[in-house]
Amino acid sequence: MPYEEPVSAAYFAARVEERRTLSGGYFVLQLVADRATPIAATIPGQFVMLRGEWGRDLLNPRAFSVFEVDGDRRFSILAKVFGRGTARLAAASPGEQITVTGPLGRGFQAPQVGRTQLLIAGGVGLPPLHLQARRAAERGVPTAVEMLYGGRGREDLLLVDDLSAWGVPHSLATDDGSVGHHGRVTELLQARLARAHEVEEEVEILACGPTPMLAAVRKIGLAAGIDTSLCLEENMACGFGVCLGCAVPVYGPRPYRYCCTDGPVFDAKEVRW
Amino acid sequence: MKDSAVRAGALAPTDVDLSSDFAGIRLETPLLAASGCFAYGQQFAAFTDLRRLGGLVTKGISPAPRFGNPVPRICETASGMLNSIGLENVGVDDFLGEKLPFLRDLGVSVWVNFFGTDFETYVECARRLSAGQGIAALEMNISCPNIKKGGIEFGTVPEVAHRLTRACVEVSSVPIIVKLSPNAGDIVGMAQAAAEGGAAGVSLINTITGMAIDVRKRRPRIATTYGGLSGPAIKPIALRMVHQVAKALPELPICGIGGVMTGEDALEFLMAGARAVQVGTALFAEPDAIMRITEELRALLAEIGSADLHGVIGCLEAIPPESPM
Repeated sequence: MPYEEPVSAAYFAARVEERRTLSGGYFVLQLVADRATPIAATIPGQFVMLRGEWGRDLLNPRAFSVFEVDGDRRFSILAKVFGRGTARLAAASPGEQITVTGPLGRGFQAPQVGRTQLLIAGGVGLPPLHLQARRAAERGVPTAVEMLYGGRGREDLLLVDDLSAWGVPHSLATDDGSVGHHGRVTELLQARLARAHEVEEEVEILACGPTPMLAAVRKIGLAAGIDTSLCLEENMACGFGVCLGCAVPVYGPRPYRYCCTDGPVFDAKEVRW
Repeated sequence: MKDSAVRAGALAPTDVDLSSDFAGIRLETPLLAASGCFAYGQQFAAFTDLRRLGGLVTKGISPAPRFGNPVPRICETASGMLNSIGLENVGVDDFLGEKLPFLRDLGVSVWVNFFGTDFETYVECARRLSAGQGIAALEMNISCPNIKKGGIEFGTVPEVAHRLTRACVEVSSVPIIVKLSPNAGDIVGMAQAAAEGGAAGVSLINTITGMAIDVRKRRPRIATTYGGLSGPAIKPIALRMVHQVAKALPELPICGIGGVMTGEDALEFLMAGARAVQVGTALFAEPDAIMRITEELRALLAEIGSADLHGVIGCLEAIPPESPM
């Protein structure tokens, strides 16, 4: 069954409640809003725009996929230090104020009965798919999803224990072979699709990760004629359809749609790569 | 000065009247949302009380829809950002039919930014837009750096700007405010050309052409190589230009634009000679920034003992010469 339509977003103040450092330069930032917000209705793939009290230095908020949600005030993001914005957030102390806009955008579809969702996560693309897996487990259908998770090495693969605890099937791939398949996650995907084909299992693909990985997943999905949803990333200043910075090239009557309001989840058939 | 000093502290922010007159247009506050940072307004309804804006300036409208530039279109820079959106917009027909009714119903001053790709399409756009109901003014964009044809030459050659302004004023039933480019060599000359062409006022400044480079990829950070710089980084330049135009053309209403983030920023523009101020880039990070800036401006005016805007607009005094040793 599909998720409900996205609720409208809110602009609100929150405080850092906890910051946890994970391996590989990743961190989880848990925030608590000062009032009830629509965050509880977040659909996996939806995102928030976050900005600390950064004065006139880092001007624009940063976009993050929602990682975990707890009630209507508490949520977290999982990120890796990449630039100055993520470095600031990684160093944020408990109590620090962060302004939030969200939840924004359109997320993934929930699993349908009789059709396995293959969640293809690469490195920083984990958060929305981890949330998708969590939701499936919460609905009592952990095997309606299956995660194929790739990274450079063991330290890039986070929170795999959660998947085991939830009973979500998963396989791993690393570039250095330190854990799981020695190679790319897209190789796991191809093998998995071949198996599904043999036993006439119905599957669809949901993917989030670096752009080269998404491009490869898109090719594989389209070639196999399998429904493929890609969660994309693009520079954005506002996150709610105003700045028009986050254009995504698409096929159709208009050459671009927007990562923030039309996505970030797009049908692979639509993306003009 | 003495009077202000005596009155300072005696005023409460609620006593301050922020209303003003801009070229015959009544504004409840001098703060407007700037073009390109506000789209057509609907997106902000969830985040802020749009009825408390002084006014708003729409995304630039062209006669036909435009789809915009390739990505990446934006990148952040020190205290600012570069953009090269490419004047993407829904076109006159969809604007009048689908976007304008929402804006008109807000009850605030609606300014419609517009442009063409050549002389004829500018005039056509002004004529068709001014037939729309509930438009207080048209803001003519002669200064966008992001289209190859049209924008920049209209914005840098005074004679061309003069002819274009006159032609648009002749077909428009509402006042035309010309938005000037900081990339013009002579900003005062451009303002004068607009005024002589019949412009009711000028808005300044638009973004300043700039660039940023990703050294690891050896590529410009935005697809069109150059883009328009906005945000606090450009505020000192904008203030200087507003001040120069205000001094040279004291009768010409000026709407100041450039990196306004606080009430104090807005007051700087007013003191430099602007009669209204637009807030742009700040709206991306903080969709209700104008509400905060409005209250900050009110409090600041109370603090300096000004009960309304008359006493502050263009009130800047020169620093007295140093006395001989």
